[in-house]
Amino acid sequence: MINAVLVFNGQGQPRLTKFYTQLETSIQQRLISEIFTLVSNRPDGACNFLPLPPILAASGTSHSASEPHNDVPSLVTYRHYATLYFIIISTSTESPLALLDLIQVYVESLDKLFENVCELDLIFNFETLHSALSEMIVGGVVIETNMDRIVSGVKAQGTVAKRPVNEARPSGLGAGLGGTFVWPGR
Amino acid sequence: MGIVACPAPVQGANAANMFEKSLYDLIRGMRNHKGNEREYIQNCLKECRAEIRSQDLDLKATAMLKLVYLEMFGHDMSWASFHVLEVMASPKYHQKRVGYLGAVQSFRPDTEVLMLATNLLKKDLTGASTTTIALPIVALPHLITPSLALSTLSDLLPRLSHSNATIRKKTIVTLYRLALVFPETLRAAWPKIKEKLMDTREDPSVTAAIVNVVCEFSWRRPNDFLPLAPRLFELLVDSGNNWMAIKLIKLFATLTPLEPRLVRKLLPPLTEIIRSTPAMSLLYECINGIIQGGILGSGDDDDGREEIASLCVSKLRSMIMVDGDPNLKYVALLAFNKIVVTHPWLVAQQEDVILECIDSTDISIRIKSLDLVQGMVSSENLISIVSRLMRQLKSASPENGRNAAVDPTDLDSDEEALEETINPRQKNDGQSQPLPDDYRADVINRILNMCSRNNYSNLTDFEWYIDILTQLVRMAPLPRPTNDLEPASGSKSNIGDASERIGDELRNVTVKVHAIRPACIEAANAILEQFNKDAPSGHPVTSGAVKPIAWVIGEFATETVSPDDSLGSLLQLIPRVTSPESLAACLQAATKVFSLIAGDSIAPWTPERKSMISLLMARIIHVFEPLAMHPNLEVQERAVEFIELLKLTAEAVSGQDAAGEASDYAPLLLTQAMPSLFVGWELKSVAASAQKNVPFPEGLDLDEPINPNLNSLLANAQPLSMPAEEADEFEIYYSKRPPPTSIVSEPAINRLVESREEAASSYQQQPTEDAYLDPDILARRKAERRERNKDDPFYIGEGSSLTGTSTPIHNILQNSNGPDLDVDSIPIMELDLNKLNAGISGSVPSQSRKAPRPKPPRQKIVIAADENLAGSGGSTPRHYDSENNSDSFTKSRAKQLKQSVLLGVDSTNIGSLNLEAEPDSRGYDYEAQQREEAEMARAMKEVERLRLEMQRANERIQVAQGVDAEGAVVKKKAKKKKPTAAAPAEGEGDSGAAVKAKKKKKKVAVPADDGPGDKDQQTPAPPEGGGRKCWGNPRP
Repeated sequence: MINAVLVFNGQGQPRLTKFYTQLETSIQQRLISEIFTLVSNRPDGACNFLPLPPILAASGTSHSASEPHNDVPSLVTYRHYATLYFIIISTSTESPLALLDLIQVYVESLDKLFENVCELDLIFNFETLHSALSEMIVGGVVIETNMDRIVSGVKAQGTVAKRPVNEARPSGLGAGLGGTFVWPGR
Repeated sequence: MGIVACPAPVQGANAANMFEKSLYDLIRGMRNHKGNEREYIQNCLKECRAEIRSQDLDLKATAMLKLVYLEMFGHDMSWASFHVLEVMASPKYHQKRVGYLGAVQSFRPDTEVLMLATNLLKKDLTGASTTTIALPIVALPHLITPSLALSTLSDLLPRLSHSNATIRKKTIVTLYRLALVFPETLRAAWPKIKEKLMDTREDPSVTAAIVNVVCEFSWRRPNDFLPLAPRLFELLVDSGNNWMAIKLIKLFATLTPLEPRLVRKLLPPLTEIIRSTPAMSLLYECINGIIQGGILGSGDDDDGREEIASLCVSKLRSMIMVDGDPNLKYVALLAFNKIVVTHPWLVAQQEDVILECIDSTDISIRIKSLDLVQGMVSSENLISIVSRLMRQLKSASPENGRNAAVDPTDLDSDEEALEETINPRQKNDGQSQPLPDDYRADVINRILNMCSRNNYSNLTDFEWYIDILTQLVRMAPLPRPTNDLEPASGSKSNIGDASERIGDELRNVTVKVHAIRPACIEAANAILEQFNKDAPSGHPVTSGAVKPIAWVIGEFATETVSPDDSLGSLLQLIPRVTSPESLAACLQAATKVFSLIAGDSIAPWTPERKSMISLLMARIIHVFEPLAMHPNLEVQERAVEFIELLKLTAEAVSGQDAAGEASDYAPLLLTQAMPSLFVGWELKSVAASAQKNVPFPEGLDLDEPINPNLNSLLANAQPLSMPAEEADEFEIYYSKRPPPTSIVSEPAINRLVESREEAASSYQQQPTEDAYLDPDILARRKAERRERNKDDPFYIGEGSSLTGTSTPIHNILQNSNGPDLDVDSIPIMELDLNKLNAGISGSVPSQSRKAPRPKPPRQKIVIAADENLAGSGGSTPRHYDSENNSDSFTKSRAKQLKQSVLLGVDSTNIGSLNLEAEPDSRGYDYEAQQREEAEMARAMKEVERLRLEMQRANERIQVAQGVDAEGAVVKKKAKKKKPTAAAPAEGEGDSGAAVKAKKKKKKVAVPADDGPGDKDQQTPAPPEGGGRKCWGNPRP
């Protein structure tokens, strides 16, 4: 199952944190900063999977590659879009490549909701971020991967606020979402 | 910037609260206060604290939203948990949603108000609008406790047949999370879920959700899901949903081991998917599923299995090799890591590509391949694998690395990955990233693990290993040097452990491998000198290797080539060592070496010797003296003891005349007493479990005080006579034979073959040594080799000597073969080496000629096994850290982990539940029910207590604010009324009306403005009468 979904930007500022098990706020923050350290040091052309951050490796079982335990988070998957990193922490029962697609679906749904989504949209509408996520994942289990259903589910909860008109608008995430970005494995 | 004009996501502030911040203002403010953000946020938090106490729900909700936003940045909002409940109870959907978000984000297992939320959750679960129903369903997995599960189950179950598919699938998942904490849930829910799964007319996304949940359950209790196999198979064949197909394959992988007949059924569709699917993820999971489901392994009847096995493995291999996508490389390694458990031979065939991955630029890939490699190590490939890792460490040492730009754009990455696979080696050498310290520590640990596995059974060349260790000490990441003079004990992390482990390894080899001991001691001395040389003077030496290495030098001082030099470098090092443990070891070692130098009882007592020893002692005392005041007690004690001992000896020395005559003897204190402190039985490595086998002496009571009068005894003790007495005790201790029962008296090490001179090893297979060893180590190796082979008639010397001593035959050979002839590869050499080693020659030469790649001749080295107590049932396998007693530590830690893993979800309860059993059979645990009831009762009591507390607190607030007397009326009412009685009544139907009827005196707050989509929310749901005031809006 999925243990946590995180979104933060290139400076490590969180934009969304969702933990599917209860966790102390301070530990949450430590986890975020450790993952950010890992993710920001990735070389070009590295794969989209992170080694376990120290805090998880210490509490989990990093040495037990031979006997994976399905209750323990063992996989940290990330994708990088424009200014944002999307991270999913999951156990070994999830498929790593499918999680990459899942992040893609999430971002594409946000793009549909906000029309050419950018980081600013996510900052100011983090409630919508949460409700889009809860249309896809409940309690750590994926319930929907169809983009249209996700979007209509979010819209059913009320109108999605548009970004403030007078905010300066940097290049959107959507720039990366065109045909060029679709991951070849999909 | 027109702040007022901007619509906030929650636009709640009415005219009176115009000055309050919306979430939008807060975020803008944070962006505008870069630099003094902290102060700004603190101010905002203060404002929120005030706003959230307001009676205006809009204001409350806005403040809640701001708090949730700040919580994301690490600002605790647990203090607001009660207010979260208030907002959750709001009749307006958009406010309610904020409340639920606050609960999901901020509630922790110890949040007390959770008990109060039960009724609210039950009420919202039965709400009329689908959006409202969804809120508690989505929130429950985050809040769930056993008692909450029990009480919400009855409301959740009907939602399984809700008309809206979204509600149905969310409910299914929530029921799964309920079952994790309260397995009985599953008994009630499973029949319905199963029914949904079987229903072909069910919405496909609901079916997919069920499959996801079943997949989560299945690895815990696969037997229960076997009957579903036909339906699942149908779904696999028909569905167009890749996500579900992946989950189904994972599910089947857990089912096939139980039902081998499934394999034949599954193979055709799986091969079909492998051949046809465009989705790489699905392809990968098919392969993974085939391997994990044991479809490859059994191979009893079908030829098709062989075919599919090679198909899968070759696909994985090509994922690593050919494809330019690093993700595929990673997942292929991940798959291999799973295969290696059941099919190690399949993985071993892929050794070449996996070894390539060790040198990948990507640390994730490296670590995964390291995991694999660690399991593949044998005596044949050990040296080549370690060489690779060493080269990596060396080229990535901090001074060699350069900082890489950290802005990978994904478009580039694919191209670069492509390049990388085409020519990985080149790329690696060109730009080696500085590796993070903990990764380097990890690699070092793995090298040591690989080499020391099974009591060094894979290691053929110990001298090579010593050189590796020497090199590793230099490359090991050091703990950050502290700027101050403070000891760095506070910041000790696992990084420091790496260098200590290297030292420990050197010590282990020294102790266990008798034949190689002189070389070890030499290496230890070299390392010590290196420490002195490397760190600039005045800087502390922080390496953790100091401690074991100092111990080696001290303990085996008799075998040191030049004890004077060892003592010199120890004394030079001592003032600069910071860690107390290392310091204590160094003190001990220095004294040991001194006693060896000075304690010669045969040499004549000449004036030169007298003055030399006096000077040496003065020097040692000078070094030790500052440590007599060391804050660490162990260091202090040792320093004081040795100083006193040395002073006493110095007195004796100065009193002993040395005229150079035969009748003059060195003082006995020097020649007898001091050495006897340190000479005793040889120390052996002892198995970690040996201590446990020591029989407990009868009549020993550890709790009994040694002497009831200890304090006064200590006070009266005369400290002056200490050193001499202590020496006596030591003498007695060491010279007395231990009782015969305690330890096996014949150590294995005595049976060692004394054949160091003959022991030779092959060096021809490691042409890359210079790639990872420092030049000085290399030079030494070369010199050693030359020295060793000097007298070997079969060894052909190096270049210069060759021409000088060559016979005509050599010349002829050289002329006819040309200059390229590799002299080292002349086979006759190896044959003779083998003969020498084997002692009994026979068929050896012919055998080794037949072998395509002869095994490196095994050195005749016996490695002492750990000692154990007789009758303890054999020796345990050696663990590297047995001497640190960390085995029991890890074990106890593992035990702890079972209880709570960070982020982990414990599903062990699920496995023990008996699904199919009837409620009256033993599956239904009566005791569990009793316990549950007891817990419920406790919970109810707790609720009552909390409620009263809160009520009182609220009264105080209300009184302080001068609110009317009606609060008092409610309080009286509440006291008479049992909350437990009210709970079920409110849980169902129109609770607003019910409450109204029951408590006529109470003013029921009717919201003046209905938000969209919450017509059913007439009344906020007060769980208890007493808490009501908090939710009710004040009268307009």
